[in-house]
Amino acid sequence: MSPSASTLPGDWIGIALLLLGCAFYGAGTAGLLRFPDVYSRLHALTKADNQGLLLVCAGLAVLARSWRVAALLGVIWLLGLMAAAVSAHLIARHARHSGSRRTSSEERP
Amino acid sequence: MSSAFVYVLAASAVFGVGVYGLIVADHLMRKLLSLNVMGSAVFVLILTVGGATPAGPDPVAQALILTGIVIAVAATAFALALIVRMFQETGLTSLRGRDDDD
Amino acid sequence: MTIGVLVDLMLALALVGLSLRVVTGRALFRDIVLFILFGLVIALSWSRLGAPDLALAEAAIGAGLTGALMLMAYRRLVAGGAEDVAPRRRPPLLAVPVAVLTGALVALIGLAALGVERVPDAAGTIVLEELGASGLGNAVTAVLLVFRGLDTMLEMAVLLVALLGAWAVLGEVHPGRLHQVDRRTPLVGALLTTVAPVTLLIAVHLLLAGTDAPGGAFQAGAVLTGCGVLLVLTGTVRPRAAAGLATKLLVIAGLAAFVMIGASAVALGRAPMSLPGTWAVYLIETAMMLSIAVTMTLLFARARALEPERA
Repeated sequence: MSPSASTLPGDWIGIALLLLGCAFYGAGTAGLLRFPDVYSRLHALTKADNQGLLLVCAGLAVLARSWRVAALLGVIWLLGLMAAAVSAHLIARHARHSGSRRTSSEERP
Repeated sequence: MSSAFVYVLAASAVFGVGVYGLIVADHLMRKLLSLNVMGSAVFVLILTVGGATPAGPDPVAQALILTGIVIAVAATAFALALIVRMFQETGLTSLRGRDDDD
Repeated sequence: MTIGVLVDLMLALALVGLSLRVVTGRALFRDIVLFILFGLVIALSWSRLGAPDLALAEAAIGAGLTGALMLMAYRRLVAGGAEDVAPRRRPPLLAVPVAVLTGALVALIGLAALGVERVPDAAGTIVLEELGASGLGNAVTAVLLVFRGLDTMLEMAVLLVALLGAWAVLGEVHPGRLHQVDRRTPLVGALLTTVAPVTLLIAVHLLLAGTDAPGGAFQAGAVLTGCGVLLVLTGTVRPRAAAGLATKLLVIAGLAAFVMIGASAVALGRAPMSLPGTWAVYLIETAMMLSIAVTMTLLFARARALEPERA
């Protein structure tokens, strides 16, 4: 089965959402690699990647055309959000307790 | 070029990398990581050469690998227990002795 | 070349690259994290190869559980003053040639095996033909419990032996040393109250679904172990000095269920290890799930038994 034969107009919305989600993931990863300190990296990772996850889940839900799958993807997104929130919180707390400083804008190269 | 071909080559390369790690690594935990990497390569190889049935990969190969994954984690857990105990007793994390320099 | 093969190529490259980093890296902590990533890429490869059962097991056991065990052991070594970064030593001269030759040999065997015509009466084909008679819809679960039950039973024995071995080398246990994260931290408390029941739900779902769809006792047990790991890490449970009757029963439950049902078949005049019905599959799988979860959690906590922390 070739994918183009069964592509419906609605699928393009799903594909667009998927691509947009990937762009957010790319931005989050770029932030993780390029930002100067732990806190801004976490910021990039949690904020952009959670948005990416939402868009990917939404895209997959549109492509699946099933309320059951959409509900499951919603649960996945919620659990992903919770995991991200708690782990980011713990990493940031640990970083603060062990004395990692925020890099101010003047110090940035 | 088929998927099976790609995965056979990847599994072989990963297995070779694992062997290299097993020889070169000093730290016992890294040797254990290498061993696990080799195990994963073998699993991928078993599934790809196991052949396909109309209902996906050979179910016997899949069950074999599933068993293998669980055995691997059991063996890893035991090996880690040994490593931690050895460190507690001797303060060493490698089989190279304290005075055994190159 | 289709998009699918392109994805396969990317996964294969990721596997080789990650394994190289894991094996040749110099900072152990980072390499353990990369090993977890390697396990996740393997899980993706399983789903690409059409084996969702393996993908689930790999993600939960191969990547998750092995990684958690490794990180916990690493923590214990570092807490005891071990070095993280290995000194740079010259690798043995023969290391590269030996590794390359081994890889080439494996490739030769693999490619030769790929070229072999599949025999029409291969075990897997027969399993699929006889699947209807087993009363199960998932061929992998059918192989594990119905067609090759003896293997799975002995696998539970291996798991038990690993735990007994770990107990034997356990040495002195320090109660209270497991506290990693304070569960009174608001977010952690919220995570615990939500995630613990959800993991339980997912584990039971995987167990029940495993008879007809991807899933089964191993995957369910691994997810349940995740719950146990969370309880250990948040200090909700703490190690006890000795294993009580309940712990011992839970640890041998999987093996015992197999032995009893398998042996009773002989007593009732049926073939050894044959199962009397689907209920027996559920019974054995439930017992296996509990045994796997308790065994792995104890191995993770490096404890003989766990009890709820009172506070």
